[in-house]
Amino acid sequence: MLLQPLRGFRCRAEAACICAAVIVALVAFGRSDVAAQRGAGGAPQRGGGPGTQTARARGPVDFTGTWVSVVTEDWRWRMVTPPKDASATASIPVSGEGRKVAAAWDLDADNKAGNQCKAFGAGGIMRQPGRIRISWQDDNTLKLEFDAGTQTRLLQFDRNAQPPAEKTWQGFSRADWEGPGVGRGAAPVGDSRVTGGGLPGASGVPGGGGQGLRGGPPPRGQGRINTGADIKVVTTGFREGYLRKNGVPYSEQAVITEYFHRLPTHPNGDNWLEVITLVEDPRYLSQPYTTSTNFRLEANDALFKPTPCQTAPPLPVKLPTKPTPLQ
Amino acid sequence: MTRSLLWALVVVLVAAAPSSAQVSFVGDWSGRYHEDQPDRVPGEEPGDFSGIPLNDAARRFGDAWDVARHSVLEHQCAPYTLPYMFFGPNQFRIWEERQPDTQELVALQMYLGTYQQRRTIWMDGRSHPPEYAPHTYMGFSTGEWNGDILTITTTHIKAGYYRRTGVPQSDRSTVVEHWMRHGNLLSQVTIATDPVYLTEPYIRSQEFAMMDRNNTNWLYNCEYAMEIPTDKNEVPHFLPGQNPFIGEFSSRHGMPEGGVRGGAETLLPGWQPGAKPAPPRPNVNGGFRAEDQPSKLAAGEVKAVPVQGNVYMIVGAGANIAVQVGQDGVLVVDAGSTGTSEKVLAAIKGIAPDKEIRWMVNTTFRPDHTGGNEAISKAGRTVNGNTADIIAHENVAARMIKAGVPDSSRPFKTYFEENRDFPFNNEPVLIFHPASANTDMESIVMFRRSDVIAAGDVYRTDSFPLVDPDSGGTTQGVIDALNYILAQAVPSKNLEEGGTYVIPGHGYISDEHDVVMYRDMMVIIRDRIKDMVDKKMTLEQVKAARPALDYEGRYGAETGPWTTAMFIEGIYKDLSAGRKPAATRSAR
Repeated sequence: MLLQPLRGFRCRAEAACICAAVIVALVAFGRSDVAAQRGAGGAPQRGGGPGTQTARARGPVDFTGTWVSVVTEDWRWRMVTPPKDASATASIPVSGEGRKVAAAWDLDADNKAGNQCKAFGAGGIMRQPGRIRISWQDDNTLKLEFDAGTQTRLLQFDRNAQPPAEKTWQGFSRADWEGPGVGRGAAPVGDSRVTGGGLPGASGVPGGGGQGLRGGPPPRGQGRINTGADIKVVTTGFREGYLRKNGVPYSEQAVITEYFHRLPTHPNGDNWLEVITLVEDPRYLSQPYTTSTNFRLEANDALFKPTPCQTAPPLPVKLPTKPTPLQ
Repeated sequence: MTRSLLWALVVVLVAAAPSSAQVSFVGDWSGRYHEDQPDRVPGEEPGDFSGIPLNDAARRFGDAWDVARHSVLEHQCAPYTLPYMFFGPNQFRIWEERQPDTQELVALQMYLGTYQQRRTIWMDGRSHPPEYAPHTYMGFSTGEWNGDILTITTTHIKAGYYRRTGVPQSDRSTVVEHWMRHGNLLSQVTIATDPVYLTEPYIRSQEFAMMDRNNTNWLYNCEYAMEIPTDKNEVPHFLPGQNPFIGEFSSRHGMPEGGVRGGAETLLPGWQPGAKPAPPRPNVNGGFRAEDQPSKLAAGEVKAVPVQGNVYMIVGAGANIAVQVGQDGVLVVDAGSTGTSEKVLAAIKGIAPDKEIRWMVNTTFRPDHTGGNEAISKAGRTVNGNTADIIAHENVAARMIKAGVPDSSRPFKTYFEENRDFPFNNEPVLIFHPASANTDMESIVMFRRSDVIAAGDVYRTDSFPLVDPDSGGTTQGVIDALNYILAQAVPSKNLEEGGTYVIPGHGYISDEHDVVMYRDMMVIIRDRIKDMVDKKMTLEQVKAARPALDYEGRYGAETGPWTTAMFIEGIYKDLSAGRKPAATRSAR
């Protein structure tokens, strides 16, 4: 049938040639598409397909474990409570209204009003020094427990989940996997294809070490490959809070978008979680506020020690009294 | 009509079939400064080391830092090195270089508006260069995909700073980057490993937004200028305990001074002032794949590598050997150690198979430079048919006679003046004798057309310079000799690197920036020891004060022919003898 001369073709051979090319192209396209769904190595999916798989089963990267924030950035605003001086809102694209609210920050008033957790809400919690314990609460809910402020965030992968009527400090987070390998599932702890030796993670920590492309090409030399997929999280429905301990605000109208990446294992065995955060707030910000925060995987949760929401008062500022060579 | 449609379908399908799913980073990107903005754009305040897992050596370096260092002529136009480049104000352009026939990605190319730097990220699986290769501001980078994350490893980075206010970064640092893209946002994580100045890898992350409209600020036309009459070779710094800015940053911003001093322990939650330094984690700086680190020569391997123009460098034979090749024959600077000559001659044969060795120059008398004199001289031939002539300062010959070195190994073409020059291979060859550098026997050779300097041991990248007062060496003489090299060296336009290349007595091929950092070190250590000598401190007290602490991790040694203790002692002995350094006003 296909080899019957088609209208407009000079001969049967030309028609055959074009048909063959179409078939080859279709096959190539189809194979690539399937491969992309399966991942680079074309490993078969678990379950019936994306629609029927749980988030946990579809996840190509393992984020579970206890992660500690390593504060190498914004140290002066994160590790201590910064003073209300000219640098109080530095780096943050605050609007005029946001600046006014920040200038009016009163720690005592917050404490008296029971608002101690304003600096530990969804817009500020990732920047608090602390540890995060990540686990699957159920097959479609990733639980993030923070020892700083004893907070819990639930990342809902279930598209049918609905936000609660009442606003909370952490709001409602809708999550989904994105990137290559989604639907393939994460390699379990101790998977020899992950670690190259059946060990519990490259650095002896849980979580699989994040390396090894299942069914795909082996890593070059020391393996340190993960699929590079991430979790996209969009959070709304939270109470007004602080981006910083010193009262730089975000409003209830804000939308927080985050990308959770588990980085390829560092050569020394360290595993890093990178959380990229965009806060869009039509009220208190003049443009999206973009940060990226680094967490290192710990061997266990022995150092995970919940503490209540509490902000220390700023240390006093002492301006230099003796002249310096530049004065 | 049908035929056209079907062909179009073929084209569309073939084009649409994804050959790979990798993210594209091609485009123009501009920095977002929503973290540490006061540090990254206006500039850090002196004495702020917060957030850095630095060690005591780095603190000492930072405490000595004077912002006036930027006014030193050779520093005025110096670009940031890679570990700082993306932290500071920056915009860059990325494009792909693909193999024409297969369209495989060979490299990602970057042009950085800040300092007009160029960067290549090789994606073709190649290994990193050997350890004797030149270092650049952007280093040598290789990349690989981890799904949608591009992971880049960079070595061969010049010495620079993690912060512009003097938190040092050594030339032994390795930087791993992870690039991620979400829409028009590029996130870049940098993890710097630096065994000289960091106790553990230093992680930072930055964001860049794709520019919708091309910004026109892509040029950096820097031209250094003497703005205030001052000693050209002044190196501003603070002596230990005399930096008035220490403590100011913490008090001005209401921060605990212990935290502002940095350190790995200060980066973790729960840190409190007074906390003990974090114990080092095992193998925290290790684990790199061999192909991601500078390769080393195999035991006994001797190799000739091109430097520039007509000049090559032979490595692995003791001291580095410079070889100039041309129509007139071969000129060799230094001869390597005894027992390596056969391999050295084979290496020379490899680069100049039909040429005779006509001349040799000894830059000093030490055996790692002159051990091969006899064998290489005999292998060569002057135009008159004699063995190749050996040129050296007359003090070398005198020292060899005193040491009983046989005539066949000694230089007979000696000179006693400050300069000797002659043409060879259509190129001026200039020999300069610094009166009292490491010893009173040193020579520096410049190939003026090739634009290469063979520095001898006046400059080396593997240890502190020898200062041997018993052989006529002085501290100031070493500094003067380094300044002589700096006076001859001119970096390339815009990049501020390359240009004149310097072959060190030992170590990797260098340029002006590498020498100026070495010179700065020598001046700073001299000033510290001079201050201690003036305070009548004993040698033991000086050693205990560790005046070279900030450089020990890079150039120091506890064993071997030239230890840190010997270096300190050499300078102490020299400065205690009453010879006054010429530029003592470099310290505030």
